Amino acid sequence: MAEVAYVEVGDRPIREVNAAIRAAVAEGRDVVVTNTLSRHNLGIGLPHGARVRFEGSVGYYCGGLNNGAQLEITRDAGWGLGEAMAAGEILVEGYVGMSAGASMRGGLIHIRGDAGPRCGVAMKGGDIIVEGRIGYLSGFMAHAGRIIALGGAGDACADSLWGGEVWVAGPIASLGVDTRVVEPDPSEVEAVEKLLASRGLEDSGRDWRKIVSAQKLWYFDSRDSRAWLMI
Amino acid sequence: MADDMSDRPHPFEPPDEELVAFGDGAVPGRPAGVPSSYDRGKSPRWTPEAIAEAHAVAQLGRYQIRGFSTFNTCFPTLDDLVFVPATMTRLPLEGYRESCDTKTVLGDRPGLVERPIELDIPIYIASMSFGALSASAKAALGHGASKVGTMTCTGEGGMLEDEREASKILVYQMTPSRYMLDLDHLRMADGIEIVVGQGAKPGTGGVLLGMKIPERVANMRTLPVGVDQRSTVRHPDFLGADDLKVKIEELREATGYRIPIFVKMGATRPRWDVAIAAKAGADVIVLDGAEGGTGASPELLLDHTGIPTMSAIPAAREALEEAGLADEVKLVAAGGIRSGADAAKCLALGADCVMIGFAALMALGCNSPRYLEDYEALGTSPGRCHHCHTGRCPVGITTQDPELERRMDVAAGAERVARLLTAWTMEISLLAKACGKSSVHNLEKEDLRALSLEASAFTGVPLAGIDRPYSW
Amino acid sequence: MCGIAGRILGSLGTVGADLVAMMEAMVHRGGDSTGFALYGPRREDGYVVRVVGDDRDRLSDDLEAFLDVLRDCGADFLEDPTWDDTDQRHVSVRMVVTPPTVALADWVARADAITGFEIQSIGRSLEIVKDVGTAEEVAAKHGVEAFVGSHGIANARMATESRVSPTASHPFWARPFPDVAIVHNGQLTNYFLLKERLMRKGYRFLTENDSELIAVWISDQMAKGHDLESALEQSLRALDGVFTYLIATADRLGMAKDRWAIKPLAAVEDGPDLAIATEEQAVRKVYPGEVTVRTFDGPDQTSTWAVKQAEVV
Repeated sequence: MAEVAYVEVGDRPIREVNAAIRAAVAEGRDVVVTNTLSRHNLGIGLPHGARVRFEGSVGYYCGGLNNGAQLEITRDAGWGLGEAMAAGEILVEGYVGMSAGASMRGGLIHIRGDAGPRCGVAMKGGDIIVEGRIGYLSGFMAHAGRIIALGGAGDACADSLWGGEVWVAGPIASLGVDTRVVEPDPSEVEAVEKLLASRGLEDSGRDWRKIVSAQKLWYFDSRDSRAWLMI
Repeated sequence: MADDMSDRPHPFEPPDEELVAFGDGAVPGRPAGVPSSYDRGKSPRWTPEAIAEAHAVAQLGRYQIRGFSTFNTCFPTLDDLVFVPATMTRLPLEGYRESCDTKTVLGDRPGLVERPIELDIPIYIASMSFGALSASAKAALGHGASKVGTMTCTGEGGMLEDEREASKILVYQMTPSRYMLDLDHLRMADGIEIVVGQGAKPGTGGVLLGMKIPERVANMRTLPVGVDQRSTVRHPDFLGADDLKVKIEELREATGYRIPIFVKMGATRPRWDVAIAAKAGADVIVLDGAEGGTGASPELLLDHTGIPTMSAIPAAREALEEAGLADEVKLVAAGGIRSGADAAKCLALGADCVMIGFAALMALGCNSPRYLEDYEALGTSPGRCHHCHTGRCPVGITTQDPELERRMDVAAGAERVARLLTAWTMEISLLAKACGKSSVHNLEKEDLRALSLEASAFTGVPLAGIDRPYSW
Repeated sequence: MCGIAGRILGSLGTVGADLVAMMEAMVHRGGDSTGFALYGPRREDGYVVRVVGDDRDRLSDDLEAFLDVLRDCGADFLEDPTWDDTDQRHVSVRMVVTPPTVALADWVARADAITGFEIQSIGRSLEIVKDVGTAEEVAAKHGVEAFVGSHGIANARMATESRVSPTASHPFWARPFPDVAIVHNGQLTNYFLLKERLMRKGYRFLTENDSELIAVWISDQMAKGHDLESALEQSLRALDGVFTYLIATADRLGMAKDRWAIKPLAAVEDGPDLAIATEEQAVRKVYPGEVTVRTFDGPDQTSTWAVKQAEVV
C-alpha cells in the first residue's frame, strides 16, 4: 500500500499545485488533492503509475493529456475532462461538463452522473462510459473508440462520426447527421457488457442501440444534397 | 408619333435596299456595321470562366476544390511599395561588407517560457502537413531549414519522425481536428502552435482528399484509408478566445513552461483578432493573409475570403502596440511572400518574422519545367500548375504516391531550400543596410513609400514624393 | 468574450462584494474592463442616474446643462450629485433626481444631446458602475464592495470588436427602460442588422457593442407586451451568433443561451439566494463548501429567477 501525499488546492497557483502532485507521484506515492474549488488544469499529463484522487469538484481540463495515470474525482468535473488522454483511467462520481474525453486516444473514462454536450468529441480511441445521459452533439466527429451511455442521449447524438461507436441504452432525443443505427453482433454486445461488468455495472437487461457512421459524408461525390446542406 | 412612317416619303425616289445596307459587311450573313465585340461576346460578368464555373457546379452538385492560392486579381500588391534607402538624410551601411543582424527570437516571455526559440534568420518554413506533402518533402524542408539555422512547423496530422529528425527546431501544430495529438510529441517540440485558422481559407477546417490518404497518413489521423478528409474548424474543447487562456495554461502545464505557445490565424479582422490572441496569452501570433497557400481548399474560399497580407500586418502591429504587448508578443507574417524583397517589406510593415509556404516548395521544385507530360495529363503546365489537391504532383512534393515521391531528391531539395533562404536573407539585409539599419528588425514603415493611393491607403505607408500617407 | 456573473440575496446585503469576488476569479476571461449593475433599495421618490463624463474639467458645465434639461422636463436633483475623485480624465457621476413630468424616453433623449456626458443607467434601484481595469481596480475606485443591495450582475470583459473604453464595457442599460441591465458572453453575428432596425424605431445606442443591442431588443419585446420569459425564448432564434446573457430587472434575473451550447453558465440556487457565473470556480468563491451546482451546458436554454427582496425606501 503506497504512502499517501496530500496536496491542497485552495487559492494556490495551479503551477505550484501540479508541481506538488508530480513530485509526490515521482516518489511513488498516491496523491489526494483537497479543497479543489472547481479549479482548472489540475493533474495535466500525469504518467503511468500515478494514482490521484481529487476530493471535490474540478474545473476545466482535469486529467488532460493523461498518459496512463489513474484519476478519481469525487464530485463534478468541468469541460474537457481527460482531453487528449492516451492511456489510463478517470472516474468521476458526479456530473461532467462539455467535451469530456475530447480527442482522447486510449484509456477509459467512467462518469457516474450525466455528461454535458459534445461528450467524446473528436475521440480517436478508448472508451467512455456514462451511467447517466450524454448531452447534445455527443460523439461529434469521433474517429474511433466507444461511447457507452446507460441513461440515454440528447439531441444530435453521434453527429458526423468518422468512425467509432456510440452505444445508448435509454431514450435518444434525436440522431445527428450521417448516423446509422445498426444491430450489434452478440459478440460486440458481450464485449460491451463485459467492460461494464468490470466497472460494477452488470445488467443483462439493457436494450442497446449501436450508432455508427452512415459514411455519406466520407466522400465528396455524394449526390445526397441533404447530407451536404448539413455541413 | 406612329410606328408606321410610310406616309412620310422622301422628296425623291426610294433608294435601293442594297445601297441603304452596307452590303454583307465583314462577317457573311451578319448586317454590316454591327460592332465586332458582339462576335467576341465580351460580357464583363459572364466571362468564359464564370460560365464554366456555373457549368461545373451544376454537374458536380458541390463546390470546386483545388490547391495553391488565390487567383483573385483585385488584391493590392507589395510591388506597389518601394524602399527609400539612405541618401542625404541618413547614412547607408556597406551592403556588401558591413554586417546586419538577422537573429530573430520568438517567445521570449520571462516566467512563462524557459526556452524561447532563437532563429538565425527572420524567415521560417510554414506548417504544411504530412499528408498534403510527402514525407520526403517534409524531410527536405527540415534539413534545409536546419542548415541555415531556422525552423519548420509540423502542420496538421501530428509529428512525423522524419521531420523531427531533420529539423533542429520544430514547432508542433495543434489543429482543431487534433489528429495524433500526443503528449510525448508535445514534449519533443520546440514550440506549440494552436491553429484558429489559415489565410487561404479562414473560418473553415483542413481538407485532404482521399487520393492522398494512404495507410501511413490514415493511421496518423485515425481516418479510414481513402476518405475525403474535411476537418472541423473549431477546437473540440475550447470555444472562444475567453477559454483560450485556460487552454494555453493547460499546454504550458503539460510541457513544463519550457516552450513558447503560438496562435495561428487567417487575416480577417486582425485589429481585434490579434489583440485578443495576445491578451489570451499567446507568445507568438502567426498572421496568415489571404494570399496564403494550401494543399486543398474549396476554391471559393481562396478567392473570396480573407484580407491581403500587406493590409493585415499594419493593423496587427497597431493592435499589439495599443494593447501594450508589443515587447512580449511577437508577430509572424505569412501569406504569399515570394521573395526577399517581399519579406523585407513585411518586416518594415510591422512583422517580427515571416513564414513561407509555397516559396519553400518552389525551392523543392514546385512548377519546375520537368516531367512535362505529367503536367499535361493534369491539364496544366510548369508555371501554371495548382493541382496539389490531386496527389499527382509531377515533381513529387504534394503527393503520397511513392513513384512520384521518388522524383524529389531529399538532399538536393534540402540544398535548394537552404540556398533560397540564404539568398532571401542576403536580400533582406541588403535592403536593410541600404536603409542604414544594423538589424533587419529596425526596418519600419517610414523606410517605405507607396507608388499608389491604394497601397498607401491599405498600409498607412507615405506616398512617394509626397511623404504623407493617403488619408481621408 | 468575457466572464459574467449574477447574484441575488434573500435580504439586503453587500451584493457588490460577492460580484467582485466572482469577477476576480474570472479575470483570465477578460481583464480589459469590469462592470457592475447593482440594485440597491428601491426608491419611490425618484431615480438614481449614473453618468460618465469624458472630461473632468468640464464637469460643472455638464452638470449645469444636465440640470437645465432636468428642469425643462419638470424634475430636479433630489440629492447633490457626487463623483469619483481621481486625476483620470473621465469622471463617474451619481445623481438622484425626481421623476420627470415628461415621458422618460423624452427626457433621456434630451439629456443624451449633451455631448461627452453619457448616461450609463437610470433606475429606481439600478446603478451601473463600470470602468477600464480589472475587478480589483474598478471595485476599489468605485466602492463596489460596500454597496448594499438585493441583486446585481457583473462582467469581466475581453474586448472583441469594439474599443476598450470605460463606457464600452458591460453591463449595458437598456436605454431608455429604467432598471433593466444586461451582461453578455459571446458575440452576435447579426448585430448590425438588428441594430439598424431598432434605430429606425427610435432607439438610441451609445456604443458599437452587441451586448447593448440585446438589452434594448429584450426591452423592446417587453414594451410590445411580451413578458420576460417569452422575450428570452424569442431571442434564441432572433439573435444569431454565440451568446449566453444575464438580464436583470428591478425584481427578476433572466438568462438565455444559444442553440449551439457554446458559452457556459453554472449556478448555485440556495433558497432565495442565487450565485451564477460563467465558470463554476467563480461561483465557488461565494460558495466554497460542497454545494449542488446547476450547470447550463446544453443548447437553447432560458431561465428566470425572482428577487424576493425588492424593498421600498
